[in-house]
Amino acid sequence: MSRYLLGRAAQSVLAVFGVMTIVFVIMRLSGDPTLLLVPEGATREQIDALRAQLGFDRPIAVQYADYLWTLGRLDLGQSVVQRLPVWRIVGERIPYTAWLASTALAFSVGIGIPVGVATAVWRGTLVERALMPLVLVGQSMPTFWSGILLIMLFGVGLGWLPTSGADDWRAVIMPAVALGGLSMATFARITRTAVMEELGKDYVRAIRAKGVAQPVVVIRHVLRNGAVPIVTIAALEIANLLAGAVIVETVFAWPGMGQLAVQSIQARDFLVVQAIVLLVSVSYVLLNFAADMLYGVIDPRIRLRGGPR
Amino acid sequence: MSLGAAALAQVKDTLSVDLPGQPATLDPHIQWDTDSYHVYRNIFDNLITRDPSGKIVPQVASAWTYRTPTEIEFTIRTDIKFHDGSALTPEDVVFSVKRITDPAFKSPQLTQFNSIIDARVAGPDKVLLVTEKPYPVLLAQLVKLSIVPKAHVEKVGAEKFNLEPMGSGPYKFAGWQRGVRVTLEANDAYWRGKPAIRTVTFQNVADEATRIANLKSGRADITRAISPDQAQALKSEARLKLLPVPTERVGFLFINAQWGPGTDLRVRRAIAHAIDRKLIVDALYGGFATPVDVVLTPANFGYVSGIPSYPFDPVRARALVKEAGAEGAEVVFGTSPAYDQRLVQALQQMLQEVGLKVTIRMTDHPTFLRRRQGNPDEAGSISTGLWSCGCQDADGVINPLFRTGSTWAKYSNPKFDAAIDAARATIDDAERLKHYADALRILYEDVPGVGMFQYHAIYASRREVQWQPTAGESFAVFDMKWQN
Amino acid sequence: MSRIRAALSAPGTLAIAPFALLLLVFTLMALLAPVLAPLDPARQSLLARLRPPGSMAGGITFWLGTDELGRDLLSRVIHGARASLAVALLSVIVSGILGTALGVLAGYRRGWVEVAIMRAVDVMLSIPAILLAIITVAVLGPGFLNLVLVLGFTRWPRYTRVAYAQTLGQAGLPYVTAARLAGARMPRLLLRHILPNIAAPLVVVATLEFGLMILFEAGLSFLGLGIQPPTPSWGSIMSTGRNYVGTAWWIATFPGICLFLLVLSVNICGDHLRDRFDPRATIR
Repeated sequence: MSRYLLGRAAQSVLAVFGVMTIVFVIMRLSGDPTLLLVPEGATREQIDALRAQLGFDRPIAVQYADYLWTLGRLDLGQSVVQRLPVWRIVGERIPYTAWLASTALAFSVGIGIPVGVATAVWRGTLVERALMPLVLVGQSMPTFWSGILLIMLFGVGLGWLPTSGADDWRAVIMPAVALGGLSMATFARITRTAVMEELGKDYVRAIRAKGVAQPVVVIRHVLRNGAVPIVTIAALEIANLLAGAVIVETVFAWPGMGQLAVQSIQARDFLVVQAIVLLVSVSYVLLNFAADMLYGVIDPRIRLRGGPR
Repeated sequence: MSLGAAALAQVKDTLSVDLPGQPATLDPHIQWDTDSYHVYRNIFDNLITRDPSGKIVPQVASAWTYRTPTEIEFTIRTDIKFHDGSALTPEDVVFSVKRITDPAFKSPQLTQFNSIIDARVAGPDKVLLVTEKPYPVLLAQLVKLSIVPKAHVEKVGAEKFNLEPMGSGPYKFAGWQRGVRVTLEANDAYWRGKPAIRTVTFQNVADEATRIANLKSGRADITRAISPDQAQALKSEARLKLLPVPTERVGFLFINAQWGPGTDLRVRRAIAHAIDRKLIVDALYGGFATPVDVVLTPANFGYVSGIPSYPFDPVRARALVKEAGAEGAEVVFGTSPAYDQRLVQALQQMLQEVGLKVTIRMTDHPTFLRRRQGNPDEAGSISTGLWSCGCQDADGVINPLFRTGSTWAKYSNPKFDAAIDAARATIDDAERLKHYADALRILYEDVPGVGMFQYHAIYASRREVQWQPTAGESFAVFDMKWQN
Repeated sequence: MSRIRAALSAPGTLAIAPFALLLLVFTLMALLAPVLAPLDPARQSLLARLRPPGSMAGGITFWLGTDELGRDLLSRVIHGARASLAVALLSVIVSGILGTALGVLAGYRRGWVEVAIMRAVDVMLSIPAILLAIITVAVLGPGFLNLVLVLGFTRWPRYTRVAYAQTLGQAGLPYVTAARLAGARMPRLLLRHILPNIAAPLVVVATLEFGLMILFEAGLSFLGLGIQPPTPSWGSIMSTGRNYVGTAWWIATFPGICLFLLVLSVNICGDHLRDRFDPRATIR
């Protein structure tokens, strides 16, 4: 068990390291921020001088070594655009990202799972045909479009919700709906599959035969046993939510990491981008890990084992 | 007056501003992008400033005289206090100049001020600035120099100062929730009087459609960067109003004279003849732009009327293309999402109608800048530009755009270089104008670029906001008030 | 392939018929765009900008109105189907082939090949795909081909996971051993024997990815990094059109409806296929 954990940890560190390297190299290939920083009339000498001062004239390998050295001292570096430590810039976004992602997840799980159960239980009936397209709606529209429709309707037209920003709990509703809509169908699908599989098993037939009511069967037995795949997907889906947030946050002016990531890529603020990618990939690894651990809790039959999944 | 009437008559005293970007820094000596400037120009006073008509007028400096063409002496007001109550002194002015011109500070604005080789206190209320050579644009550049408190900056350090800036301006820094908003509070001890608006918040709202939704729902009171089409639509909103202002930004078409079909002068002239400025300004910009014939706006010093130009004449343009043997020649139109894509595509069609084959090459903005400022063979054949030097002087426009050796120039003419160099070497305005007239005439002959229009900045606000925006795109909340 | 035929004749197929028909309609629209479109989609008329649906100008009727440059929206929507469908289809093909090849290889060869490929999958999955796409487009520049490459090279891990798991399941089966003993060489074995038996779940992944890719292209257009103008795609028309949502609602609405119906149809048909095949295999 502990050997397995150690192996997993080592592989995860390697994976995160790989991610960082890939992003570092591609980002550097895309140029540097010097031209964005200088006033429009700067001469070539002045541009070159600033570039040298900022250290972007050095070979990529040297810059990379320098970056690793900074990371080694548990420092994320300093943003050349904002002239502030990166941890501060990114750190201030984390609560907002967590807030939006968790609300969106709650929304998509809250609708996705019941729909999944319903479509499995009433398979082939009108219920299924009516519900499935409904959850697919959120996954069939670009968020920049569904987002502005929500704003026009609930923000401007009806005046129920704030049109943008992140001031109170009401502000999170629309971005969470737009974002959560992307994952709703995934949860519905996975729940439906899991429930259908369980419903076909002998033990369910046996319980039913004893006259236990259908809802009790589903909630007590079926969902509990079908929870493993749902938890796996939830872990993966959080990573997807972080990515989907890139556009949703721009539309709703939500101060999370997604918007910061886009702005930092456009500003070639390398170290901020690196920090965000680091954070996202570490949380991806941790979430997957947590999901694996949860399996054991949900279903003790599952034994953790080494080797690739 | 009864209490009820007084309550009714109470005027709103907060202002909520939506900006498309968040300020990159609030230390006025680092970033100078439009959104940062919109915020921090309210926290700081500048050495000198411009009045609504564009004239350079006193602010921290009450008067100035040229001692010699390279030495200029400023008289500093003695009644200005920083927000912590300390007095603004000539030492603070000298410190501010030295700070921004210190190469080790790595200020991106360095190039605007590095003609200054020395700054020193020359009396209890005097500061002397020394330039390497006579530099006629110095005053226009100093309009952008914010004065920071020496003692405070030295005490708290650069990082803390950037997080919690303190100046002598009409508003005090009150808080910065990064990515969300910056809050400023009125400085009642301000030397020009109490600001009418007590609290200002600047929100970061990237998406124009969302900014407009915020205005309509009352979440924001004023916003900037409204596009002409949205402005047309907002005209019918009873609770809102538009505040358009002609700026010093010039919309122009760059033509690469050192690579591609543009190396042939006839092709460059054909391109100039093919552009229908009137149609662009009337149909595309709905009048929120003013046609110009040169790559300068009337808001710039050095704008001379009477320079010849190429009228819209597609027949002549087609003939020139044919004459140059450039029919169907591929013209690479470099652009980025930072530019108005309607204009880009409209120009593409206009040029295709006179026989050129125009391919749009869209890249993200940093990549566009790298290519545009790279070698002639990377820069593309044409691209649109929206240029402002923030100094309202021809020196900041046609010099970087067309002078031999500039990163932007894909063109070289020693006669043009000589004319603008001469205009830069004297502080005599009449003589400078004469040189710029020569320079503009050479540009007319050679066509390394075509001036199209003077850009109008469009703000939109609640109807009750009283304010007149300026050509320099400076956002002085001190000049705003609510009208009941 | 017999399983696919069986799936199509299974009960419930009737329910998806309208959606399958829609897919066919959109495909035909893309293929026949030059014939179907009443006008040149790039033809501007600056004096007839932002005209509502059904308006006439210069003797031409603009059935769906005109866009911000006075171009015929109907023609642009019809032509837009081409770019949207082509980007999605090609990127699914690129990522599908790449991902499947790697997955089958990992599942069959085992050993260090397996470890290397599956760790690479972990790396790719832990970078948000849209961020990687934005960064890569920044380097390569936008444009049709680059878009296909970027999407193709960021989305392959989904296929790899499925192909890998499926191949593991097949590799030990008697028919594979028999084929190997009969002297089949590896490429032949993988292509002729294993691949046909694991194709079904991969097709399901591909359908779901197809819908996602259409949205991805739209998202990149919104960030200004989509197909090069003036070529229309639904995503690019919508992202400009959304700015006009209060004034010229038609610009974004019509391509929006098309895109919505297309992705919805793809998803519903995909779900249907998934139900017919082993559903467990395609969880992710």
